[in-house]
Amino acid sequence: MSHSLHRNGTEENLQNDYTFYARASRWVNREGCGPKLRKILEIILSEKPVNFGSSQAGKNAKAGLDPAEYAKTLDKAYGVACCFSDKKSIKSALVKLKEADTGISIVTGGLIDEIVAIAEEIGIKPHTAFLSLGIHGKKALLPEAQVLEMTTMCGHGLVSFKLSKAVIKKVQSGEMSPEEGATLLAQPCPCGIFNSDRCEALLQQCQKKE
Amino acid sequence: MKIDPEKCISCLECIDYCPMKCILEGEEATYMDQDECVECGVCLRAAVCPTEAIYMPEEAFQYPRSIRREFSDPAVQYPTLKQGGRGTEEMKTNDVTGRYRRGEYGMALEFGRPGTGTRISEIEKVLKVLLKMDVEVEKSNPVFLLLKDEATGEMKPEVLNEKVLSAILEFKITENQLEDAVNTLRPVLAEVDTVVSWGLATRFASDGTLPVRSRLAQIGLPARPNAKINMGMGRPIVEA
Ligand code: SF4
Ligand code: SF4
Repeated sequence: MSHSLHRNGTEENLQNDYTFYARASRWVNREGCGPKLRKILEIILSEKPVNFGSSQAGKNAKAGLDPAEYAKTLDKAYGVACCFSDKKSIKSALVKLKEADTGISIVTGGLIDEIVAIAEEIGIKPHTAFLSLGIHGKKALLPEAQVLEMTTMCGHGLVSFKLSKAVIKKVQSGEMSPEEGATLLAQPCPCGIFNSDRCEALLQQCQKKE
Repeated sequence: MKIDPEKCISCLECIDYCPMKCILEGEEATYMDQDECVECGVCLRAAVCPTEAIYMPEEAFQYPRSIRREFSDPAVQYPTLKQGGRGTEEMKTNDVTGRYRRGEYGMALEFGRPGTGTRISEIEKVLKVLLKMDVEVEKSNPVFLLLKDEATGEMKPEVLNEKVLSAILEFKITENQLEDAVNTLRPVLAEVDTVVSWGLATRFASDGTLPVRSRLAQIGLPARPNAKINMGMGRPIVEA
């Protein structure tokens, strides 16, 4: 999932957008990792993520994935993914994970300086960063920034530009509320890292621009 | 993916869901442009079709078309690598694998992201250049299953025109190679007929900083303010 890496947005609207991924390594600790992943799922659920999901389960919470159903898939999976929309929750989840010491790798996405500060506050040492050096190539193929800010929340690219544009239009015309629009746009992203809270806020901005 | 014209009632509910904009309005029924469809499965999973007219045809599983689905649908596991994902574990598990050590940078070029898709021919253009550079190209990446010649980067001719939602080239450089690698790749990337999202993996320095950020700013390729960070909670940890 370099898919949580290239979320588009401004420093301002990327605040309160945190992705979370626990990943067992094929080479080190994947064998029998199911119970540990379930423990991790239990911890993140206790902190009320905005959304969660997995490609193994085939859908995310906003599309109706039941946590118990998700937990069952974890014997055959190698990760747990979700997103949070407030600093307190992600911080608290990390504290609980530190205590649980499962040994599974944890990757957190968000504003670099914020994540580093959280790590410092709770006494963990970040190991490696994956930085985004932006988009290159034929940028004429890309839509306007407000569309990209929404669609790149599904890093696999499963939320289409067209759907995002259609939702923006419906929200602006009053046919759909920002909340309904955000829930609809979250559907195609099975990993559940599409942050519908952030999407709702972005749609509210579009309403104001109209 | 295909639409059964006998079942389709042209309600157009499915059209907006397609990331490749390849579901089109026809005279009798809605249809998919097969050349542009990457078999990502979004239209089917959206379950918006009132008549269940959308279906995955046999051709989607036949090589070379089968690679579309394998690279585009996150639910599909690679038959050979059995790891899922368009790339590898890269830095997600670096705390336990030590794949990228201090003094090294990992690089990932994600073709077709965000949201445009890519022909395999576009990846070949850049891979040919990469293999001439003195860098360590990651060969366990699924793209390598498509190669005809590992030394030159020439792809199998039958896959060149296949379109996928995204595919990733990964490689490793030493810290000293940063400027050279960036200067060589920038003009090549500017010429490809798709978009490429560029990522760089780096260890945190022992004082908890990321010195590469200022180097990147100096060479005019600043890192975005957001990133993904391996929190160092894997065990046993690789410290180097
Ligand atoms: S499978 Fe994907 S690319 Fe093909 S028609 Fe459906 S949504 Fe579009
Ligand atoms: S949703 Fe189904 S019936 Fe409606 S246009 Fe698409 S394929 Fe046809």
